[in-house]
Parts: sequence; structure tokens; C-alpha cells
Amino acid sequence: MTSTLKGVTLKGSAELVADFFSFGINSILYQRGIYPPETFTKASHYDMSLHITTDAKLKNYLTNVVSQLKEWLFECTVQKLVLVITCLETNEVLERWQFDIECDKSAKESSAPREKSLKTIQDEIRSVIRQITATVTFLPLLETPCAFDLLVYTDKDLVVPEKWEESGPQIIDQSEEVRLRSFTTSIHKVDSMVAYKRTNSV
Amino acid sequence: MDLEDDTTIFKTLKSLNTFISRPEHPQRPSEQLGIGNLQSHYKRSFEILEATERVHSQHRYLQLDQEKQQMELSHKRARFELEKAASDSARDLEVQKNFMDRNQDLLERMKKLEEREKEATNNLSEQVEANRALHRNLEGLNKKLNDRDAKLTTASQAISSLKDEIRDLRQKIQNQDAAISVQTLENQELQEQLDLQRRKYQEATQLCQSLQAAKAACSEHVIKIKELERRLALQEQDIAIVKSVKSEMARLPDLEKELKRLREDNAFLRESRENCSLLKEEAEGLRKKLERMEKNKEELINIELEKERVAEKLQAWENIGQSTGLNIRKPEDLSREVIQIQQKEIALKEQNYTLSKLTQQCSKTLEEQRKRETHDALVRRLQKRVLLLTKERDGMRAILESYDSELASNEYSPQLSKRVKEAEEVLQRTQNHNTEMEAQLTKAQEETGVLKLQLQKVSVLCPSQFARQKIEDLEKERQRLEEQNNILEMRLERHNLQGDYDPVKTQVVHLKLNPTTEAKQQRQKEVEDVREELNRLRELVRSFQEGGMVAQDDSRIHTSGLNLRKQMESSELRNQRLKEVFQKKIQEFRTVCYVLTGYQIDITTENQYRLTSAYAEHMQDSLLFKKGSNGSMQLMETEFSKTLGEMVNLHLHHQKSIPAFLSAVTLDLFSRQTVF
Repeated sequence: MTSTLKGVTLKGSAELVADFFSFGINSILYQRGIYPPETFTKASHYDMSLHITTDAKLKNYLTNVVSQLKEWLFECTVQKLVLVITCLETNEVLERWQFDIECDKSAKESSAPREKSLKTIQDEIRSVIRQITATVTFLPLLETPCAFDLLVYTDKDLVVPEKWEESGPQIIDQSEEVRLRSFTTSIHKVDSMVAYKRTNSV
Repeated sequence: MDLEDDTTIFKTLKSLNTFISRPEHPQRPSEQLGIGNLQSHYKRSFEILEATERVHSQHRYLQLDQEKQQMELSHKRARFELEKAASDSARDLEVQKNFMDRNQDLLERMKKLEEREKEATNNLSEQVEANRALHRNLEGLNKKLNDRDAKLTTASQAISSLKDEIRDLRQKIQNQDAAISVQTLENQELQEQLDLQRRKYQEATQLCQSLQAAKAACSEHVIKIKELERRLALQEQDIAIVKSVKSEMARLPDLEKELKRLREDNAFLRESRENCSLLKEEAEGLRKKLERMEKNKEELINIELEKERVAEKLQAWENIGQSTGLNIRKPEDLSREVIQIQQKEIALKEQNYTLSKLTQQCSKTLEEQRKRETHDALVRRLQKRVLLLTKERDGMRAILESYDSELASNEYSPQLSKRVKEAEEVLQRTQNHNTEMEAQLTKAQEETGVLKLQLQKVSVLCPSQFARQKIEDLEKERQRLEEQNNILEMRLERHNLQGDYDPVKTQVVHLKLNPTTEAKQQRQKEVEDVREELNRLRELVRSFQEGGMVAQDDSRIHTSGLNLRKQMESSELRNQRLKEVFQKKIQEFRTVCYVLTGYQIDITTENQYRLTSAYAEHMQDSLLFKKGSNGSMQLMETEFSKTLGEMVNLHLHHQKSIPAFLSAVTLDLFSRQTVF
């Protein structure tokens, strides 16, 4: 963390948000059972116990995405991050965890740190992650083997880097949407929501 | 260098010697040859010898000289040192001499002092010895004195104790004497008393007898008295009854009177009671009234407070009214004012609307005016030009006239006439133009007049109703549009939530190597593998169905199966044998255990062992042991073990040894068997 206790710089904010994504994605993967629970280990962060994957392949993938994301957050060119859970049997999208990112582009010009303490930001992040954990109670069970993908919505003029490619939005047909809490570093505002396929049985 | 020189010297010496010694041998033959030769030779040799000696000596001299110089130097140094040493030693010597003198004096003194000391010590020792002797005498005397003192004290103590004893004894004797006298006195008294008592006793017996007689009489009397008393009481009661009846009889008229009075009283009281209830009701009513009044009072106070407040407010309003000059005295005034203001507002709004229209028209008229102004400017310019041209023409005419006056009429150059004509033409054209422009000007003026009229008309008419309707329509449309906008925003939000995006501004990217595609690829691969295997198996099944098509494979499978079966059989056989051997060995082991320890050990269930002694009195007498989780053995309760309480206590609880317990049990059982 480069941000001091007094305020948040653009760089610090980007790091904070990227860290949040890293932990948030790990939590979702653990909570939704996309990977077996024994491949997760407990780690303490934001004054709470979180589950972090030990799967080397997954770890590598996440660090790749998160480091690229950090760059884009720093450039303020990212609009959304979406975690898509797809059923492998039917290729149907079952869940979409969407994180809308609003960048305060004025922070790019003025390097003055914003008046917001790290502690309050972390408190907000903690409540978002708590809510992610709590959503398991109402989300339908994932009964079939599933895989996840991370989509990043960026500005159109951004040059797509190597190893990345354009993708479809992977929208769920007939979905229910639930808005979750949001947090802001006063430079980046992150709104989170989850959309899931409506089950016919209800 | 010296050394080298020395060697050379030695060389020369040696060579000389050899030289000297050598010619001696040939001298003899040479002697025979001639003496002259010898002589010369001798001479020469002698000369050489001399020369050598000289050289030698010279050299030695040099050496010595050097040595001498060194010696001198060392001598000088030595002398110098010596002198120094001498001076030092002389100084030392003087000091030492002084010291020595003093030393000697001191020594002499010391000697004297020592002698004195010796004498003193001798005296001292003598004195000490004398002292010691005296001391010893003194100590002896002291001891004796002490002994005597001790004896004296003991003796005095003994005396005092004896005196005390004597005193005590005397006192005792006195006391006893006193006691004896007292007792004798008491004895006499007692005897006297005894005599008295005896007499009293005789009297008493006599009295007793009389008393008994009296008692008997008395009891009879008492019975009589009681009877009489009863009778008396009855009589008294009768008398009392009679008296009371009499008194009552006497009181009857009084009572009747009283009754009457009381009845009257009663009636009066009843009336008064009714009155009282009435009064109470009245009082209740009054109290209620009072409460109401109090409430009213409070309300009144509140109302007054409110009134004051309202009055203040009113005052404030009036003040406002005065300050604003609106003459507001009442709320109606206010509402009237408000309505007026609203009306004014509406009127102003209308005015505003009309004004906006007017301004539009004004702008139009302004444009027209501007056009007119341009026209005017044009006209002015043209007029100026006309003036200029007329001036030019006049100038030209003047020139022409001057020419005419100067020249004959014949001399009119065609050129000039042409020019004049041209100028006239120009004039004509400009005049035409001028008239045209004037016409235009009048036209424009007319137009502006018309427009002005229109403007006035518009401003006069000002269709307020129409405008209001239009405003309302617009308002409705606005609301409709707002709703639509809201609906659209909601839809947009929903789409946004579902993950839709604006493809103009946004693009969606993801890593090429993401877990989904990987999983999908893996799945694809698995499906393919499964499909392949399925195909293979299908073919196999088909071939089996066709039969014998793949005989080679079949036989191979068959042979391999046979082999496997053989192996299995052999291994089973081995197992069987091993089992037999184990069983035999186990049986042997158990019998040996039984014979040696006297106990047959059986495993009843997991971790439980039953021990049956060889000397058991009954077949079912057995001990049960259970193996704990930590490997320790525990005795379980059985019918038999209940009879062994003592041994259990001693060997298991106290000594904590199972073998000792078992052997004790064995011995016990064995002794019982052999006794019988």
C-alpha cells in the first residue's frame, strides 16, 4: 500500500481496488464452489478471515488479470469487471458478478491525494465482501460442473494487449439481478451486483 | 680487507717457504757445480726475504696503527666514562659517607636503645611473673570468697525458707486452735439446739396429732361450708335476678318514654339523612363545577397566553403591514393580497409572454429598420453622387461656355460635344437611379409602417387564453416525456445490470487463456477420449458377436487367464497351509501357556480376555480382563472376581501387579483343592 493514512492517491486507489478484486474473486470462487474447498487456504485481510486459492494455475491467472487491471485502473480506462460463471454441460451463463467501476478522471491530472482514510475504505470493502459471502443464502445451487471467466469492460479506444481478446458480454437469458453494496476510494467507485439465471421452479 | 691481505701474506709466506725449502735440494748438486752461483742465489733469496719482510712489516705496521687508533679511541671513551664514573662515585661516596656517619650514630643509638629495651623487657617479664603470681593468689582468694558467699546465700536462703515454714506452721496451728475452739463452741450450740429440737419435736408430734384431728373436723366443716356457700350463691343469684327484674319493672315506663323519644329521633335522623344525601349530591355537583371551573381557568390562562402570542404575531403582522405599506390588518387582507399578487404574477407572466412575442416582432422590425437604414444610406450616397455630378456638369458647362466665349461656334470640337453628351447621359442615369431609390425608400417606409401597425395589433390582441392552453399542453407532454424517460432509464439500468453495454464507447475483453475456455477444452478432450473409447469398445463387442474373428486375441486372453488362475490357486494353497500351520502353533502355544501358568486364555470379544484357572472349583469361574486404549489391562467384574475382594485390593490396587494377583489366585485355588 502506497497510500498514507491521510489520503489516497490514484496509484494507491488502483492498488486498493485491485486488491479488493483479488480477494473478492477468491471469495466468490470459494463460496460458489467453482473450485473444491480443499484447494483454499485461510488468510487474514481487512481484519477478517478470507479464503485464498492455492491452485497454482488459478493463482497465476488471477495475478495476470489483476496486474493488468491495476494498470487500467491507474489509467482510468476500465468501466466494469465481470465474473461470469458458465455451466460446462450446456454452455449456459448461470451467474454474473458485475463490478461497475467509476473512475474520477480528474485524479489523473491532479496528483493531490484525496481526504479519505484507509481505514474507512477498508471498512467499506469489508462490508462488500461480507455481503458477497451472505449472497450464498439466496443464490440458486450450482448443481452442474461450472467454470468462470473474467470480463473487463474498457474504453473503446484502448488498445487490446497481447494475450487478451475481445469477447461478448455473456448476458444471462432471463435473469434476476440483485444490487450489492458499493465502496469508494474517492477516486474509484465500485458498485457491485450479481445477476443469476431465474429458475423456473419458483 | 685485512683478511684478504692476510691470505695474500700467507700465500707469499708459503711460497717463500717453498721457495726457501725447494732450492735446498738442488743446492747440493749446485754446490758441486759452484759456489758463485750459490752465492748469488743466496743473495737474491736474501733480498727477496728482506723485501717480503719489509712488506710484511709495513703491513703489520699499518695494522697496528689502525689498532692503536681504535685503542686510543676506546681509551678515550673509557677514560671519559671513567671520569664520569669517578665523579659519580665521588659524589656517591660523599653522600654515602654522610650516610655512614649518620648510620653509625643511629646504630649506636639503636644499640643503646636495644640494651635499654632488653633491660625493660627483663623488668617487664619479672613484673609480669610477679603479677601472674599475684593474680593467681587473687583468683584463689576470690574463688574461696565466692564459695563462701554461695554457701552463705544458700544458708541464708535455707534459714529464710525455714523461717517461712515456721511462720506458716505457727499460723496453721493458730488457725487450727481457733477452728477447734470454734468447733467446740459450735458443738455446744448444736447440742443445745438438738435439745431444743428434741423438745420441739415432741411438741410438734403432739401438735400433729391434734392437727390431724382438727383436719378431720375441718374437712367436714369445709364440706359443710361449701354446701352452704353454694346455697348462698344460689340465693344471691335469685336475689339479684329479683332485684334486676324489679329495677327493670321500675325502668319500663322510662324505657317506653325513651322508646318514643328514640322513635322520634329516628324519624328525624332519617329525614336528616335524606337531607344529607341531597346535600352530598349537591356538594358533588358543586365540586364537579369547581373542577370544570378550574379547568376553564387553566384554559383561560392558556387562551390568554395564546392570545398574547397571537397578539404579538398580529402586531408583527401589522408591523410588517406598516413596514410594507400593504395595509394588512386581517388574514382576509393577506389572502386578498396574495390573490392580488398571484393575479399580478399571472398578469406579469402574460405580459412576459406578450413581451417575448413583442421582442420577436421587435427583432423583425429591427431587421426591417436596419434594411431601411441601409436603404437610406444608399439614398444618401446616391444623392451625394448626384450633387457631385451636377457640380461636375456645371463645371463642364462653365468650361464649355468659356470655350464658347473664347472660340467661335465653329470651333466646337466634336470631342467636347461628345463628352457633354456622355456627361448628360450619366446624369440622366443617376437621376433615374435616384428616383428608383426614392421609390424603394417610400416602399420600405410603407412596409415599416405596416409592420408597426401589425406590431401594435399583436401587442393589443395578445391571446392569453391560447397561450395558457399551449402551456398546459406542453406541460402534459413534458410529463409524458418524463415518464418515458424514467421508463427508459429503468430499462437502461436493467440492461446495465444484466451486463449490456454501449458498443460505441465500450469494449469487452478477457484473457485468451481463461479458466472457462480451458475447462471447455478439457471437457472437449474428455468427450473425444470417451467417444474414442466407446468406438473401440463397440468394435470389440461387434467382433465378439461375430465370434472367432479375432481368435488370436482370444487365445492370448485365454492363456493369460489360465496363468492367472494357476497363480491364484497356488497362492490360495499357500494361504491354506499357512493357516493350518498357524492354527497348530496357536493351539500348541495355548496348551503350553495353560500348563505353565495354570490359566487358559480365551479372547471373548475385541480387547477382552477371559482367564480360566486350571484349579477352578467351577467350570464357569473365570476372570475377565479388558485392554485399555493405552495398552493397560483392567480387571472386569465377574461372579468369580467378586469373591476375591481382598486379593484384588492387595495385589491390584496396592501393589498394582496383575501377575502377582494371578499367582495368588492360583495358589489360593491350589491350596483349597489339596486340602480337601
